[in-house]
Amino acid sequence: MQGFLVRRLGQALITILGVATLIFFVQRLTGDPTYLLVPETATQADIDALRHALGFDRPLIEQFGGFLADLARFDLGQSVVQRVPVSTIIASRLPYTLMLAAGALVVAIGIGVPVGVVLALFRDGPIAKLAAGFVLAAQSMPTFWSGILMIMIFAVTLGWLPPSSTGGFSHLIMPSIALGLLSMATFARITRASLLDELSKDYVRTARSRGVRTPRLLVRHVARNAAIPVITVAALEISNLLAGAVIVETVFAWPGIGQVTVQAILARDFLIVQGVVLLGAFVTVLLNLLSDILYSVVDPRIVLERAR
Amino acid sequence: MKNRRLLAKAFMALCLAIPAGSALAAKDRVTIDLSGEPSSLDPHVQWNPDSYYIYRNIFDNLLTRDDKGDIVPQIATSWKYLSDTQIQFQLRDDVTFHDGKKLTADDVVYSVKRITDPKFASPQLGQFDKITDAVANDAKTVTLTTNGAYPALLAQLVKLSIVPKHVVEAVGKDAFNLKPVGSGPYKFEAWQRGVSVTLARNDAYWGRKGAFPTAVFRAIPDAATRTANLQAGASDLAANLDGDLAQQLKNSPRAKPVPVLTERVAYLAMNVQKEPLNDPKVRQAIAYAIDKQAITDGVLGGYEKPALEMLTPAHEGWVDGIKDHPFDLAKAKALLAEAGPKARQEISLVTAPVYDQRVVQALQQMLNEAGLKVKIDMTDMAQWLRRMQSGPDSIPQMAFSRWSCGCQDADGVLFPILHSSSGWANAKDKTIDDALDGARQTLDKSKRLAFYKTVHERIASENYIIPLYQAAVIYGAAKNLEWTPTPNESIFLNRMGWKD
Amino acid sequence: MSRPARATLIWRGVGRWWPVAIIALFVLAATFAPLLAPYDPNYQNLIGRLRPPGTVSRSYHYLLGSDELGRDLLSRIIYGARVSLIVAFASVIISGVVGTLLGMLAGYRRGVTEIIVMRVVDVFLSIPAVLLAIITVAVLGPSLFNVIMVLALTRWPRYARVAYSQTLSIVTMPYVRLSTLMGAGAVRVLFRHVLPNIIGSVSVVATLEFGLMVLFEAGLSFLGLGVQPPTASWGAMLSTGRNYVATAWWVATLPGLCLFALVLAVNLTGDAVRDRLDPRFR
Repeated sequence: MQGFLVRRLGQALITILGVATLIFFVQRLTGDPTYLLVPETATQADIDALRHALGFDRPLIEQFGGFLADLARFDLGQSVVQRVPVSTIIASRLPYTLMLAAGALVVAIGIGVPVGVVLALFRDGPIAKLAAGFVLAAQSMPTFWSGILMIMIFAVTLGWLPPSSTGGFSHLIMPSIALGLLSMATFARITRASLLDELSKDYVRTARSRGVRTPRLLVRHVARNAAIPVITVAALEISNLLAGAVIVETVFAWPGIGQVTVQAILARDFLIVQGVVLLGAFVTVLLNLLSDILYSVVDPRIVLERAR
Repeated sequence: MKNRRLLAKAFMALCLAIPAGSALAAKDRVTIDLSGEPSSLDPHVQWNPDSYYIYRNIFDNLLTRDDKGDIVPQIATSWKYLSDTQIQFQLRDDVTFHDGKKLTADDVVYSVKRITDPKFASPQLGQFDKITDAVANDAKTVTLTTNGAYPALLAQLVKLSIVPKHVVEAVGKDAFNLKPVGSGPYKFEAWQRGVSVTLARNDAYWGRKGAFPTAVFRAIPDAATRTANLQAGASDLAANLDGDLAQQLKNSPRAKPVPVLTERVAYLAMNVQKEPLNDPKVRQAIAYAIDKQAITDGVLGGYEKPALEMLTPAHEGWVDGIKDHPFDLAKAKALLAEAGPKARQEISLVTAPVYDQRVVQALQQMLNEAGLKVKIDMTDMAQWLRRMQSGPDSIPQMAFSRWSCGCQDADGVLFPILHSSSGWANAKDKTIDDALDGARQTLDKSKRLAFYKTVHERIASENYIIPLYQAAVIYGAAKNLEWTPTPNESIFLNRMGWKD
Repeated sequence: MSRPARATLIWRGVGRWWPVAIIALFVLAATFAPLLAPYDPNYQNLIGRLRPPGTVSRSYHYLLGSDELGRDLLSRIIYGARVSLIVAFASVIISGVVGTLLGMLAGYRRGVTEIIVMRVVDVFLSIPAVLLAIITVAVLGPSLFNVIMVLALTRWPRYARVAYSQTLSIVTMPYVRLSTLMGAGAVRVLFRHVLPNIIGSVSVVATLEFGLMVLFEAGLSFLGLGVQPPTASWGAMLSTGRNYVATAWWVATLPGLCLFALVLAVNLTGDAVRDRLDPRFR
């Protein structure tokens, strides 16, 4: 068990280091942000001076060393565009990202799970077909299109909801729906699969043969067992939602992390991008690690299998 | 733990905040949608349009431009040249910063020295580094010394914000960036990161006071969303729309497009050292092949105006009556036929997503119809800028660009684009170099105009670059907002008001 | 098989085939684009911009209207099918082949190969794919080729992980062991025994990914990082067309519907394939 833990921790550390290296060098393949920071009229000397002041004229290896050293102290550095610590920027955006992710999750689970139940119970009936068609259709539209259509209909034409930005619960509705639509199908699929799985198990068959009715069975036994995979997927889906929010946040001017990251990528504001990507990687690795440990505690047989 | 508190705080803010721009709040609050968040509100540490729109309202400058575009007094009441390199300003003595302290000559000197200090590394350094010294003669007199005669000085000083010495020195650079203190018609109130910057009216302002007690600048990255906000009545003013979105606003009962021609000129840049563009005939053919009117009227919706030279009437150095090559496809084809087969080689037209791709594609088709083989080469802005300033050996063959120095002076346009010493330039033309140098060394307006006339005519005959059109900025505004935008792409809050 | 299920089988058959028919239609349109498109998809007629479907301008019959530069929308949609399909097909095939091979290799060879491959997979999987794609396209510069390569680069680990875990269990099967004992080389074992057994799971991943890649390409276009203009792609047409939703609905709506139909058809097909392969759902 201890050996497994050490090994898993080592792997996690290597992954984080790998992410840091990849993101550092990929971004620097083609130049730095200096040109974007100065007016067109700046001379080459001005540009060189600014580049020197920002430290982008140092050898890449030296910059990388500095970055790792800062990282070891949990210092993500300062944005060269905004001249504010990256941690401040991320901390100010994080609450919005979490709110949007929560909203989207509510939409996705609220619709996806019932659809999954319908799919499992009615298999190929017309209701199931309709429900399946709906969740798949919802997933097939680019959000930058469905987003602007929603704004035009619900904000401009009907005036029911505010078109964009933050300011109250009503502002959260449209972005949550736009983002939630994307993962409804995932929840419907997993709910259906785990329900079918459960329903085919012996205890269900026995119960049925004893005359227990389906609804009662569902509520009392099946739902609880089938919920486990759904919850696992929900945890995984959160990280997808955080990243998938990039376009939704841009369309609805929602001030989350995705929006600031895209802007930072285009502005070559390396440190923000590094900070966000590393934070994301850290969370992902941590979640994986935790679930592995949990699994191994629950079922020691898995340890060997997973440790590979 | 800290995150949880932050989360709770954000949630509270979310629930308590007044819905921005709702009908009730509209009268004492103006909501302005910009395309991005300011990068910083310290006026000296960035060159970023979204910051510029906001901080121009917080800070005063020595001089400003009125709605007609003339340079007029702001903090300075009058100025006189002591010599070609020395200029003395008399300052107002009734100006106070938002913290109540008086603005004096010391603050002006401090501001000039701060932005021109190479160690401070201001991105704007290049606009002010001709200033070698600033001295306070007394509390209301300042003398600036320049390195040689510098005719664009006054035009540049319009953008040099005066910061309070006592505050900046007390709080330091990083804190000042987050909570700027100026002397302008609006004072900084709050910056909700990623969401909005709120300014409050400075009721003690010495000049024209603003009409709105509160102004909110929001970051709305998507232009279609900015338009929708106006149509839904959620904002009062939006920056950076295009002709087609303006069309959408024309049909709206709530909003209207507010276009204005700016000092920005769009042009076709070429590397005239590279094949086949080193052949004057090919360049002439290109000039004939481009139908500027079709671009401005057909593609851009008629808000822009075809340009005959690289400047606009708003510029010092603009010359009336320069002749360009009128659109003539037959002549273009004939010239290319004369130039021979080398004109048929592939030419790459470099562009970046920020430029209007409709114009780029229209240019490509016009040039190809004349017989060239132009291919669009898309890159990102950082690389576009790097490649375009990399000198004659590696500047791309062709690019679509839009230029503004934000100073309305020929020196800020023609010098960087054409003078051999500049990274952007590749013409290597002695006549042009001499004229540009000459115009830089004299303060005499008519002499400068003569120099620039030479440059304009040389461009028109040699076609080193092809001026295309004077660009417009299209704002969208609520129907009841009264405002006349100016060519210098600024939003001055104290120059707008509500219509009754 | 119970009787009601048999009764619906025929109906189900028909119901299952229409998504395939839609995909086939788009593939045909893409393949024969030069024959089908009435006009040059890139030819601009600036006088006839934003004309509604069915109008005529300067001898141009805009069956589905014209776009913001007066180009024939129908022709652009037909050619656009090419880009959307090429991007999706190419990126799925490249990432699928690379990911599957590496995953199989890691599962078969174990040792150093396994450690390196699976750690790299971990690294890629812990960076949000969308962000990685945006970063790399921004750096490499947007073009058809780069978009395909970037999508392949960001998506191969998904296949690698599936291939890896399946290979692990297959190589322990008695008959595979036997074949190794009888002197079969790595190539033979992997391609004769392992690949046929894992190809099903890999293709399930691939169908899911296909729809996603079409949407990814559109998303990159929205951020200005798609294919180079003037190349027509549904994603690019849709994202420029957004500016005209209120004034010229057809510019965004028509390519949008095509994109929607394609992704939906692919997803439906994917679900059907999955049900086929998963014994639980038969």
